[in-house]
Amino acid sequence: MNNPAKHHRSSGFLRRVLKQTFSGWGAKIGLAWIAILVFAAVFSPFIANSMPLLVSLKGQLSSPVLQYLSVEDIVVIIGFFILLVMFLSPLRHSLKTLLLFFVIMIVGVTIVSKQFVVEQQNIVYENFRNDLKTTEYDWVVMPPVPYAPQDYLRDVRAQPLEAPLENNEHSHWMGTEENGGDVFSRMIHASRIALGIGFLATGIAMVIGVILGGLMGYFSGIVDMLGMRLVEIFEAIPTLFLLLTFVAFFGRSIYIMMIIIGLTSWSGYARYIRAEFLRLRKQDFVQATIASGLPLRSILFRHMLPNGIAPLLVAASFGVASAILAEATLSFLGLGLVGAPSWGQMLNQAVQSSTFNWWMAVFPGGAIFLTVFAYNLMGEALRDAIDPQMAKKAGVAG
Amino acid sequence: MSQDVSVNNMHLVQVKSLKTWLETGNETIKAVDGVSFNIEKGETFCLVGESGSGKSILALSIIQLLPARISSHPEGDIFFDWRKQNIFGQENEAVFEQVNMLELDEEQLCDIRGSRIAMIFQEPMTSLNPVDSVGEQIMEALLLHHPEMSDESARDRALKSMSEVQIKDAESRFDNYPHELSGGQRQRIMIAMALACEPDLLIADEPTTALDVTVQAEVLKLIKELQQRKNMSVLFITHDFGVVSQVAHRVGVMKQGKLVEVGDTRRLLKNPEHEYSQKLLAAVPENLPKRRNKQITTDNKALLEIRDLDVFFPIRKGVLRRVVDHVRAVDGVSVDINQGKIVALVGESGSGKTTLGRAILQLQKPTAGSVKISGHELVGLSDNELRPWRKKMQIAFQDPQSSLNPRLLVAKTITEPMQVHGIGESDDERIELAAQVLESVQLERDFLWRYPHEFSGGQRQRIGLARALALNPEFIVCDEITSALDVSVQAEVLQLLQEIRKQRDLTLLFITHNIAVVEYLCDETIVLKNGKVVEQGLTDNVCGNPQNEYTQKLLAAVPRLKF
Repeated sequence: MNNPAKHHRSSGFLRRVLKQTFSGWGAKIGLAWIAILVFAAVFSPFIANSMPLLVSLKGQLSSPVLQYLSVEDIVVIIGFFILLVMFLSPLRHSLKTLLLFFVIMIVGVTIVSKQFVVEQQNIVYENFRNDLKTTEYDWVVMPPVPYAPQDYLRDVRAQPLEAPLENNEHSHWMGTEENGGDVFSRMIHASRIALGIGFLATGIAMVIGVILGGLMGYFSGIVDMLGMRLVEIFEAIPTLFLLLTFVAFFGRSIYIMMIIIGLTSWSGYARYIRAEFLRLRKQDFVQATIASGLPLRSILFRHMLPNGIAPLLVAASFGVASAILAEATLSFLGLGLVGAPSWGQMLNQAVQSSTFNWWMAVFPGGAIFLTVFAYNLMGEALRDAIDPQMAKKAGVAG
Repeated sequence: MSQDVSVNNMHLVQVKSLKTWLETGNETIKAVDGVSFNIEKGETFCLVGESGSGKSILALSIIQLLPARISSHPEGDIFFDWRKQNIFGQENEAVFEQVNMLELDEEQLCDIRGSRIAMIFQEPMTSLNPVDSVGEQIMEALLLHHPEMSDESARDRALKSMSEVQIKDAESRFDNYPHELSGGQRQRIMIAMALACEPDLLIADEPTTALDVTVQAEVLKLIKELQQRKNMSVLFITHDFGVVSQVAHRVGVMKQGKLVEVGDTRRLLKNPEHEYSQKLLAAVPENLPKRRNKQITTDNKALLEIRDLDVFFPIRKGVLRRVVDHVRAVDGVSVDINQGKIVALVGESGSGKTTLGRAILQLQKPTAGSVKISGHELVGLSDNELRPWRKKMQIAFQDPQSSLNPRLLVAKTITEPMQVHGIGESDDERIELAAQVLESVQLERDFLWRYPHEFSGGQRQRIGLARALALNPEFIVCDEITSALDVSVQAEVLQLLQEIRKQRDLTLLFITHNIAVVEYLCDETIVLKNGKVVEQGLTDNVCGNPQNEYTQKLLAAVPRLKF
């Protein structure tokens, strides 16, 4: 090792690790699958919907999809574009500024769209089909999957349950469920729940874990003792039963579910961060910050956290996978969301139906498997990239 | 290969234009680059060089311990005089065969390694297996090379070699585990293990670097004795010229994979011919031009007054974690540190010198006692009350790897404390101040915009000093800041400290175990043993005419350059 600095001069540690992580095909496949999911989740109203994207009536353009967008749709789409712009813009700000900007923008967009968007409670998808038949449109652009997830065709069709591509008249790529809802459309809309629950639940768990674990590790002694007992209490409770209890008390909202999964899974992160901080506390550069009289906030979050976050990121990528599984489990048990489809709930449907219809089980089951697998692949590659001993093998079979 | 029964007038090892290249990813490092030398029978050959000069790689090449996957020898030969028959008590009938180590197969190499060429390493704790008793480990080495030996005779032989390395009461030490022994005893066990098969060549890779100076003196004496008694050859790797002058018959100086000079020890230490050897020898603290201001100033105004300072660490035992006893790391220390002086704090490892340094800065809360800076009491203040005083006292650390935050730009590392203490009006002004501080430790301005991993050890130590200096402190604790550095870099840092002291009216507490550095740099010396001050006074008095028995022992053990 003559001069390792020469090669990656002033390239940040994070960028180096990310490059290393995604150098192998395993992590690349994982990333590709997650990218597809993100795209599907963000643009789901435009990909799978019963309403036309764009119609022209006597030279007048109108877009029924846009008119019927919900607040959630708008926030997700705008949030996606803000992130995209922040990522691509040449202006480099600190992570803190970017995060603050993002949160402010999201809150702003939510408030504004709450003011102006009228939520359509009950959309009768039949009306659109009638309109298409009766009205003389100049031309119509339909979404690639022309069925909304909650557009049940049981009253329209004599035989609502269809296998994939069974009937040549209507193209159900993944078949329909018993009520006549299009499985592919439901899959696409459910990806938003899967991703959201993964990111937000893990995010909540990480914030709690980092703060509690960091304090435990830094102060050690009595703080550590009490903190570790709290961790042990949380670890002693079976998460699933805790989840069931919470759902029974607070009802079935996706947001409450995210919070509950987050609240019950922070203990692992706290342990990791505690161990790292116990190690870092004795390092000379931390001692130097204390000797310089820096405030505690800076010592903890500027000097210690960036040096101890690596194992946490790895744990988090596995955590995202387990949060998705937790939601799927709940939905499978019939305690998930009522209205919106989710992969776990779709599996539940498959099991409960009188006859076994393979397409109702294979597609959502496969999606859960692929997503969890993708996160695990990336987590493993990240772990290898961070560990300098393993760095050469990074990316799972480089 | 030539059969040769006669023994006389043959080199034991002949290295001929050896090259060892290491592959690291996409880069080839020429670790050993065309080196030729001989080791005669019964001599100690010292390899000296700074870190990265390839001296360890050369040794590993001789014993063929480098992983074949990443290393290659594009050129060169290593001839070794292999004593084939090795039955104890029949050495006279030995058959010698000259072999090229690079051409032997793995099986033959295994026969040679351990039995004909043995090696001891720097860190005795990690070189011993923690789950086997030390006696078993020596026996294992013996039985591996002498399968014909019975367990009893192997045990006897292991005991014998343990007493040979002067382990007292070998019989009872036989069943001890490595962690139950001290560092010096562990290194003795390593030597016993290496010598159990009576090798012809012992390779010792910095065997005393991790040891205290008194232990080092004993181990060096032991190696020398054994080498003479058994007439074996020793290849001794070190960076310390003091050690060289103690043990070596001949010396080779290495620089960047090349052997720049080989010669008789006396001659080379006295009149080095090669420019690089001259430079290295000139950087040894003993040889640095004395610039310490000799005049004893009368105005001994105490900047720091330390009275009866105790730092105890509780030893807890049992289910209830009751405190049964204390480790008295610092035990009733009372010293004054005078304004504008460089005060050395000397002692062996475990003597509490680092703990004392940190207790003065309140990085380690003292158990009892008082620390006053310019008359203000520091002990018992809360973090917030301490903050204004933090500015006046700073610390610089030993380990250049861990003393800087690897994720922060140098600029941020230096300016953040300034901001907290209200130095400089704006960020731009602070950056300018930081650049000036960097220049005062002889670094370039644009080093501000780099990360710590881009610097060498010496540069990092300077940045660590710059961080301490940025707050304009009155007092800096320098905790072994030159111990991890090469001798030439150490000389630069020492000269830099002199400069800085001259420019700013600084008081330094210089914690070290290196007496030569103390004699070069420090005005006053405090000798610490088991947390207690055993002797203190002007350096010239303490080092020139030690009164305390312990100080005398410590000073006698220091390996000095003898010409």
